[in-house]
Amino acid sequence: MNVHRLCIALITLFACGCSTELGAGKINIRYMAWGNPEQMALEEQLCEKFNLENPDIHVKFLKVPGTAYLNKSIVMLASDTAADVMRVDHYNFANLQKKGFFLDLTDLTKADPDWNESDFFPQTIDECKVNGHVYGLNVLFGGTVIYYNKTMMARAGVEDPYVSWSKGRWNYDRFVDIATKLTKKDGNGKYIQFGTAIPVFPSWTPMLYGFGGDFLNSSHTKSALSDPAAVAGLQFISDLRYKYACAPTLAQSSNSAFTFESGKLGMSFDWMGMTPRYRKAVKDFEWDVVPIPTGPVSGQTIVKGNQLVIPSHCKNPKAAWRFARFITSAKIEQLLYVKNRRCFPTRIEVASSKEFSDGTLPPSQIHTFIGAVQGGKQLPIDNRWAEWTTAMNNELDLLWNGREKNAKVVADRATKVIDKVLTEEPGW
Amino acid sequence: MVKKPSKKRLIDRQEFWGFLFICPWLIGFLIFTVGPMISSLVLSLYKYDLANAKFVGFENYRRLCTEDPLFWKSLKNTALYALLTVPLGIFGSLLVALLLNQPVKGVRLFRTLFYLPSMVPAVASALVWQWVFNADNGILNQALAFIGLPNIEWLQNEKFTLYAFVIMSLWGIGGQRMIIFLAGLQGIPESYYEAARLDGAGTLAQFRHITLPCLSPVMFFNLVLGLVGAFQVFTSAYIMTSGGPNNASLFYSLYIFRNGFEYFKLGKASAMAWILFAILLGFTLIQFALSKKWVHYEGEAK
Repeated sequence: MNVHRLCIALITLFACGCSTELGAGKINIRYMAWGNPEQMALEEQLCEKFNLENPDIHVKFLKVPGTAYLNKSIVMLASDTAADVMRVDHYNFANLQKKGFFLDLTDLTKADPDWNESDFFPQTIDECKVNGHVYGLNVLFGGTVIYYNKTMMARAGVEDPYVSWSKGRWNYDRFVDIATKLTKKDGNGKYIQFGTAIPVFPSWTPMLYGFGGDFLNSSHTKSALSDPAAVAGLQFISDLRYKYACAPTLAQSSNSAFTFESGKLGMSFDWMGMTPRYRKAVKDFEWDVVPIPTGPVSGQTIVKGNQLVIPSHCKNPKAAWRFARFITSAKIEQLLYVKNRRCFPTRIEVASSKEFSDGTLPPSQIHTFIGAVQGGKQLPIDNRWAEWTTAMNNELDLLWNGREKNAKVVADRATKVIDKVLTEEPGW
Repeated sequence: MVKKPSKKRLIDRQEFWGFLFICPWLIGFLIFTVGPMISSLVLSLYKYDLANAKFVGFENYRRLCTEDPLFWKSLKNTALYALLTVPLGIFGSLLVALLLNQPVKGVRLFRTLFYLPSMVPAVASALVWQWVFNADNGILNQALAFIGLPNIEWLQNEKFTLYAFVIMSLWGIGGQRMIIFLAGLQGIPESYYEAARLDGAGTLAQFRHITLPCLSPVMFFNLVLGLVGAFQVFTSAYIMTSGGPNNASLFYSLYIFRNGFEYFKLGKASAMAWILFAILLGFTLIQFALSKKWVHYEGEAK
C-alpha cells in the first residue's frame, strides 16, 4: 500500500517536473543567449519585465557560456529542441540560415502593424535579410571606432584626434604621427607605452577598407586580397608594427601587456560595445571616441550585430515573435543602448533621442557612433566565413609576426588558400 | 525416480551480482563510448553537416589523404610532438620517481609537491604557461637572458611553438606516470639489490640489471598510455595558440575539433577520428610485439 502511494507521488512529481505549462492557457517559451555577467543580468531583467507585461506568455531565460554557445545552438537546432528565440552572432547567422534552421519572419513582420522596416537603420535590417526575406531581428549592433586616451594626448602635447577630425585632417598620416609621438621607451630601451595596437581580426578591417581593399570580390567567389589596394592596406597595418614601431609586436602585447584600460595605449580600434567596460575599468585618465581615420580611399568602419532568430521548428512562433519584438522595442533599446550603452540602437528614433546624445559620462562624442553605423560597411560574412577566415588568418600570421614584411607575398599566399576554400564544394 | 537438477535462481548466480554491480559503468560505457564510436564510424562514411547527410563511402578518407594539406600538417605536428614528449616524459618521470624513492627526510612532502602540478586544471596551467613563455617578461626568457642567450618568441614564432609545447609537457612528469613508476620501484624486492651488492655490483649496474628489467612492465604501460595521450594533445594548443602561428601548433585533435565543431564537417571529423584510432592501434600492436624482447614479467623465463 505504502509502495503504491509512493509510486503515485513520484509519478505526480515527475509529471509536474515535465510540465511546461505554468498556468492554464499560458504559453511557455524559452530564450537562449550568451554574454558577460552584466549582459546576462540585463537580459534576465528583460525576461522578467516581459513576463510581467505579458501575462499570457512566460519566457524562460537559458544562459549558455559563450565558448559552448555555437555547439549547443547547432545541436539543439538540428535536434529540433532549440529555444523559441535565440540570439545568434552574425558570424554564424549565414551558415545556420543556409542549413534551414531559421524561420522566415517576413510574414510575421508584414502581419505586425507596429513593425516598420523604416524605423530601423537599414544596415541592421540588411544583416538579417537573405534574398529579401527577414530571418532575424538585429540586437547588440555596432561598429568599430577609435577609443583614445585624452590624458595621454594632452601630456604628449599632440592635437586631440577629435579636433583633427573636426578640422577635416583626421587621416592615417596624422594617425601614425600621433601614434609615433605617444610611443615611449624606458631607460633600458624597453617599450612602456604604445600609440596604438593592431587589433585582432576583424577589427583591423577598417584599415583595409580605408585603402580601398577588401577580402573578397563583390560576388564573394574569389579573394580580393591580392588587389593592389588590399595589399596597400595590409602593408600599412604591418608597418604600424615593423616600420613606424608605434604598435606592439605580438610578443610585446602577449598576456594583455598593452590594453587601452591599462593606460599604456594611446588609441585603440574597438567595438562600440566596449564602452561599459571602459566606463567601469578606466579610473585614471580621460578618454573619448573618434571616427576611424580617413585612408586614401575611405574612412569606412565595419558594422555587425547579433540576430534574434526563431527556429524553423518553433511551436509558438507568434509568442516568440512578440518576445523578439519586445527586445527590439524602443523602450528596451533605451534601456540597453542608452542607459547601459551595451552597443548601438537599431532604431533610428532611439539613436536620435536627446538621451542617447548625452555625453555626461564618457564618451562625449556620441555622434561618432551614429556616423560609424550610418557609413559602416558589413563584413563579407557568408556560410563559409569560419573556414576561409581561418585559412586566411593562418597566412596573415606571417605578416603580423614579422616573419614576412612584404604584404604582397602574404596576400598572394592568403589569396591561394581563400580561393581553394571558396572553389571547393562545401562540406568536405 | 531421478531428481532433476534444480535450476539456480537468477539471484543465486554469482554472475548476476557481478553484472548488477558493474551495471552503472556498463550502461554508461555502452551509451557514451560504444554508441558514439559506432555512430562516428557510420558518420565517417557520410558527408554530414547536422542538417544534411549524404552517403559518400570512403570519400572522406580519400580526400583527407590526398587533398587536405592540413591533415598531413596536423599529423606531422602531432607525431613530432609525440616523438619528443613520450621519451622525455618517461625519462623525466622515471628520474623523479627514483629521486622520490630515496629514504630522505620529508620525502612524503616532496612527493606531494611534485604531484601538485598535475592537480591543476589543464586550462589554468595553459594560462600560467602563457606567462612562462611571454617573450618580454616570461621566466623562461629571463633564464635564457641570465646565461646570455637572446629572447625567444615561443608562442609567436612558428619555429619555436612546437618546442614550447614540448617544454610545457614536462609539467606533467611528476604526475600519474611518476606515481606508477614509484609504485613499480617500491615493488622491487630489496633482496635483489642485496644479492647484487654481495656480488660487487655498483649503483649503475644495479640500475641497469635490476631496476630497469623489473620496471619494464611499468615502462611498457607508461609508453602505451603516453603515446595515446600525446596523440590526443588538445587543450593547451586550443587555449594558448589556437593552432597558430601559421598552423605550427595545429595538432591532430585540434583539427578534428575544428572540422567537427567549427566547420560542422561531422563526416570528415569522424573519418579523422577513425584514422587516429587506426594509427594508435597500429602503434600499440607494434609495441606489444616489440615488448616481448624487452619487457620482463616476474617469474617469466626469457
